[in-house]
Amino acid sequence: MKKIRFLAVLSALVLALGCMWGCGNGKGGSSAPASNSEANKDGEPKNSSASEVKITFWHTYGDAEEKAFLEEVLPLWEAAHPEIKVEAVRQDGSQYHEMIVTSFGTGMSPDVARVDITNVAAYASIGGLAALSDYPDFATVSADCLEGPLSTNLYKGKYYGLPLDTNCKAAVMNMNVMKDLGLNEAPKTMEEFIAAAEKRGSYSLNVSGVGDWDMYPYFWLFGGVLTDDGFTKATGYLDSAASVNAIKKMIELHDKKVFTIRDIDGSVDAWDGINSEYAMFFEGPWYFGSYEDTKQKGIEAANIPTFNGRSASVVGGEDIVVFSNSKNRDAAYEFAKFMTTPEAQLALLKSGQLPILKSLTENEAIKSNPVWSVYMSQMNSAMARIPSPNNSQIQEIWSETITNIFLNGADVETELHNAAALIDAQLK
Amino acid sequence: MKRVNRSLKEFGTALPFVLPGLLLVSVFILYPMLFTIRISLSDYKIVTGDIDFIGLLNFKNVFASGSKFWFALRNNVLYAIVTIPFIIFGGMLFAYLVNNLKHGQSLFRVGFYLPVITSWVIVALVFQYMFNNSNRGLINYLLVDVFKVMDDYVPWLLREWSGNAAIWIMGIWKNVGWAMLIFLAGLQGISKDLYEAAALDGAGIFKRFIHITMPSLRPVTYYVMVNMIIGSFNVFIQVLMLTSGNPNGRTSTLQYLLYDRAFNQYNFGEASAIGLISAVIILVVTLTLNHRMNRNADDTEETA
Repeated sequence: MKKIRFLAVLSALVLALGCMWGCGNGKGGSSAPASNSEANKDGEPKNSSASEVKITFWHTYGDAEEKAFLEEVLPLWEAAHPEIKVEAVRQDGSQYHEMIVTSFGTGMSPDVARVDITNVAAYASIGGLAALSDYPDFATVSADCLEGPLSTNLYKGKYYGLPLDTNCKAAVMNMNVMKDLGLNEAPKTMEEFIAAAEKRGSYSLNVSGVGDWDMYPYFWLFGGVLTDDGFTKATGYLDSAASVNAIKKMIELHDKKVFTIRDIDGSVDAWDGINSEYAMFFEGPWYFGSYEDTKQKGIEAANIPTFNGRSASVVGGEDIVVFSNSKNRDAAYEFAKFMTTPEAQLALLKSGQLPILKSLTENEAIKSNPVWSVYMSQMNSAMARIPSPNNSQIQEIWSETITNIFLNGADVETELHNAAALIDAQLK
Repeated sequence: MKRVNRSLKEFGTALPFVLPGLLLVSVFILYPMLFTIRISLSDYKIVTGDIDFIGLLNFKNVFASGSKFWFALRNNVLYAIVTIPFIIFGGMLFAYLVNNLKHGQSLFRVGFYLPVITSWVIVALVFQYMFNNSNRGLINYLLVDVFKVMDDYVPWLLREWSGNAAIWIMGIWKNVGWAMLIFLAGLQGISKDLYEAAALDGAGIFKRFIHITMPSLRPVTYYVMVNMIIGSFNVFIQVLMLTSGNPNGRTSTLQYLLYDRAFNQYNFGEASAIGLISAVIILVVTLTLNHRMNRNADDTEETA
């Protein structure tokens, strides 16, 4: 009996110790910053002269972009900065934002990361990012950056990142369907396109959803205004006569079966339907991943046709940010700066990442490419979404308003008026 | 004194056995639970780790946050009301049928259980395809193009009621097999004599099911029901994968709302409050059911 009890106590203790050791070990093993700092401590005596540091870079590059990054950009970096080792980690795009938010809480953030432009203000507002404009050379570094993309890093008077790549929506046109509509070349004006598409009786123009990225280009194109120039107020802008008319124009086109919203009408997705039934939709440059394929199908990139003489689009893209938790903040900033140099930007351009430098807009590589040149010229009429840490809430207000109007037939004036008041509260 | 000594001794003997589990429960369940309560009463800044006490403000905001919370709660309750009867009666019926099979019992048992072990995500992808827009979705294609029952395609997952229905159907399909397996185990415990006696009295298969099988399975039914009710307040993957709560949160559930508050709006306080509210609801419902079930059991014992 005693023997059995002894064995039981022994085995239980072993189990308990095993668990504790397991937990402790797991913590040390999975905590990236902790293991980094340990590595540094270990490495110090050896590398005291070179003082090698290691930084982690998170990104969501696709295959082509990652190849360009690993094979061209990274070797350039290693040659220029042998003392700073960059460990690039490719993350899953669909859960990226959640991973970053979680990493703030667990203290396991990377040192530097490529993030969507719409998230920078929000990350900065919760204290997750380092203010790069505090560095004395920031003004010089950012001087060559395009204004629009640079402005997406601004939060409360400081810049929390550098622009990394940019894009916007341009028109993707199926020239065969355009011919069926009686248009032998890409329409230059929306008026011309609508007149031709009205006669058809089935949808020619498709947008996927009711979100800001999908709907803003149409809203702006038909004359709508979101806020004042300083993004401080929506009342008087979002519910102005011009905005009401813009939405009414969209409703008119929707009723005439020219324009369809996939998530409202349940129509065929644009990427699928552009091959057969749609004449046009607006999309970023990634649609033309394989330009030869799309050209064969008769699908081409073109500037978004003007309405009342004006084109419009929405700015997209990514910024590179340094995390406030980073133990090697200076090294991370050094890497962020490097990613905006003309060499790195040109190397990434080969995989379709449009550059953010003023000095590269007229570059021959861009001008000679039938897709990139369209997108670069469309950038001139592309506008940024409201930069706000409450971006997610504003998006929700906008989507719900548009859903109410198009799905439930709600009154446009009332809906826009209510939405403007709600957005005002988010902008305070 | 002797008794105290003895119980202390027993405690000493038991402690080594309980300790590992107790440690794990404390670290992975108790601590997070208490921490959730604390966050729900605080303004939690995730980066700096600052936790400022703000009283019941988070709860106030959740209850006042337009219609979102109430729609989510309504959908959880509706999910329970709609799916549980189907799961219980379906599971019971299939179990009864499979149990009475002379051949191929294991084939059907595995067949009905397969949905349970299939990944939620994969099932959701199949459902996405089935309920897809336009003629790209199987159901639209069948109803409009093949059988011509309807004139227009319906965007099933983008409307309030058809979206909810898709979530319910997926829940039923996924859980009937589990209920069947539990009922099958319950059926093994019913004495054959009862059926034989009933057969001698001239009761057919249907009468035997109503008068013998169903009452005998009452405790098992209760177990399945409690599990399913708890499950109804954990509906998440269906919503995330099928509807994302669209249109305007009309197909959202409490867990999805919690996720949205935490990861899209960084509002961990409100998210924790929603988590706590769900926990309290589940606790109250389970306790009430427990109470009623015990009373019922006592009643039947008395009448017997």
